Amino acid sequence: MDLFLQLFITGIMLGSIFALVALGWVLIYKCSGVLNLAMGELTMIGGYVCLGLYQRFVTTMPIEYAFLLALIGTIFVGLFLGLLTERIFLRKMIGEPILAVIMVTVGLSFFFKGMVFIIWDTDTQVFLPRVFPIEPAVIAGVAIGQVYIWSFVAALILMVIFVSFFKYTRWGLSMQACADDEMAALSLGVSAKFVYALAWAIAFMAAGVGGTLLGNINGLNYSVSLLGLLVLPVVVFGGLNSIPGAIVGGITIGILQNLSGGYLDRFFPGGIKEIAPFVFMVIFLLFKPYGLWGWERIERV
Amino acid sequence: MSYLPCGYYFEDYADDQKWWRTRFIKGKMILMVVLLAILPLLVDSQWLSVAYTINYYILAALGVQLLIGYCGQITLGHAAFVAVGGYTTALMMLNVPWPQSMIDGGLVYPICIICAGFLAAIWSVLFGLPSARVKGFYLIMTTMAAQWITVPLVITQYVAQIGGRGQAFSIPTEMIKIGPFSIDSDTKIYYFSVILVAVCLVAMGNMVRSKLGRAWIAIRDNDIAAETMGVNIVGYKLLAFFVAGFFAGIAGAFYISALFFVSPEHYEWFFSLLWVGIILIGGVGSIQGLVFGSIFVVMVFKLLEIAVMGSSDLLMASYPQLGWMTTKIIFFKEAAFGLAIIFFLIYEPNGLSYRYWQLKNYFNLWPFSYTGK
Repeated sequence: MDLFLQLFITGIMLGSIFALVALGWVLIYKCSGVLNLAMGELTMIGGYVCLGLYQRFVTTMPIEYAFLLALIGTIFVGLFLGLLTERIFLRKMIGEPILAVIMVTVGLSFFFKGMVFIIWDTDTQVFLPRVFPIEPAVIAGVAIGQVYIWSFVAALILMVIFVSFFKYTRWGLSMQACADDEMAALSLGVSAKFVYALAWAIAFMAAGVGGTLLGNINGLNYSVSLLGLLVLPVVVFGGLNSIPGAIVGGITIGILQNLSGGYLDRFFPGGIKEIAPFVFMVIFLLFKPYGLWGWERIERV
Repeated sequence: MSYLPCGYYFEDYADDQKWWRTRFIKGKMILMVVLLAILPLLVDSQWLSVAYTINYYILAALGVQLLIGYCGQITLGHAAFVAVGGYTTALMMLNVPWPQSMIDGGLVYPICIICAGFLAAIWSVLFGLPSARVKGFYLIMTTMAAQWITVPLVITQYVAQIGGRGQAFSIPTEMIKIGPFSIDSDTKIYYFSVILVAVCLVAMGNMVRSKLGRAWIAIRDNDIAAETMGVNIVGYKLLAFFVAGFFAGIAGAFYISALFFVSPEHYEWFFSLLWVGIILIGGVGSIQGLVFGSIFVVMVFKLLEIAVMGSSDLLMASYPQLGWMTTKIIFFKEAAFGLAIIFFLIYEPNGLSYRYWQLKNYFNLWPFSYTGK
């Protein structure tokens, strides 16, 4: 029972990171209709940028400030990269067929991956000195690594910020309008280009923070981008254009992944942890193709 | 279809649909066959291996072209089916107690190729089943799941452990033999690949211009309209997955002869995306485009490699601090491939085959050429 509780709670906390990254994905899809397969690479870039900044800062100031500053720096770099990517690559693809847009994001993922490994090499890198203390915190008899708790808190704070930005600010409202009906929004003076750029910037920022947190848990290497790819089962589960769906889906997939890692690893030799969400996704698709709260599309000839 | 030069008229449909419609096309094709036949005399074995890599990519991307270009079912997991083909061949060669007469007679490899094709086709249909219910992005997800389930889980963890040899299988050379011809040198691999590609391309071309192909194209253009016109869309979609899987299995079985061993890293997700990239660069919905795309991608990789490797001495001599570039050639390749896909999609969305079509028409209609934009 202890094992179950531990896996369950860690799963929720890990899932909150997935939820954060999935939120960025859903925002892009809602606002511009782009199905982004480069999310894993965005996550990885964020992690490496933060690591680079952290290693610079940590020589001159205490660890906490250095990490916080590096995180803020990552968010700004993400903002800049998001605007740039949208402007250079994605803006020209508005209105193109679905396969073309998807393959542009695949091309982006190759480009980013190549660039990251050219700059930072493929060896696993860790945040040294460790940002979060290594001894686990014991909450009600269940031992949980502190890094998970802090990741959970950080992901939660950022999710609240992004969701309230989307719900209550003027820019967020224009994004909502664009997601709802692009034609109507355009005719009322909402700039679609600005909305797309904003969506990409938010996705880059969310993925960057997600990558940093994942890098703190397991170290940074290529597998971070595979974890970023887990965002796809998450959004399929929650529904492609549903923000609550992304959050619920993220947490569900996190729990599922941890439980399958804990219980099924005995029966399947290794790797089941990464595969389980995809297997779950295929089965789920057969029964509920539009996810929990996705819009059902009715087609006419 | 391109415009014909002046003076050619056809009176029935069969003539219009012929493979070689004019004498010029016949001459061109014969020239191509001759060129392909004497290529081993012209170039050394390094370029022959490039040539059969191109042929392998053509075979593997053939199924992708069928699914995406003709049937409209986007697949991002085709390497899984190629892997099934490769491993079927390897396991059959190693574990079936073949009688010595069959090994000597060169029957083993052809039988393995056909079995690999059928098994890969069945595996492909299995993952094509969701296409009955979902399409677009959701189908992409299921084909991606095919990749993730097949290669890292089933093949790496179970299939590759059979026999306890570790993950990579090496194949005994004397098994790879077709009839009296033992495929053991680069030249022979090259000829074998050319024949295989020719057979598969002709089969594909014939399928596409028959009832089957018309049904697939109808499904691609609008599946609901196709259904109202009486096309059994589930049946034809699954048939498309079957045929695509069959080609993939043949590709996997062929690559065994080139490598003499298999290992899961030849079937990573990168290759699934690479083959989709090939058909996008070449042109979606065109068999020629597939060939152009394969040649383009393989040549770009090769030239990049030559450029970096060739300049490495020079680089090391004058800028020793740039020596790291040679060790990271694979990432330069990936980044270049990514940029190539992006720029082709943005600036050349119809692919290379469209430019070829324009060029052909320019000369066919000369001196009154007008071929669109």
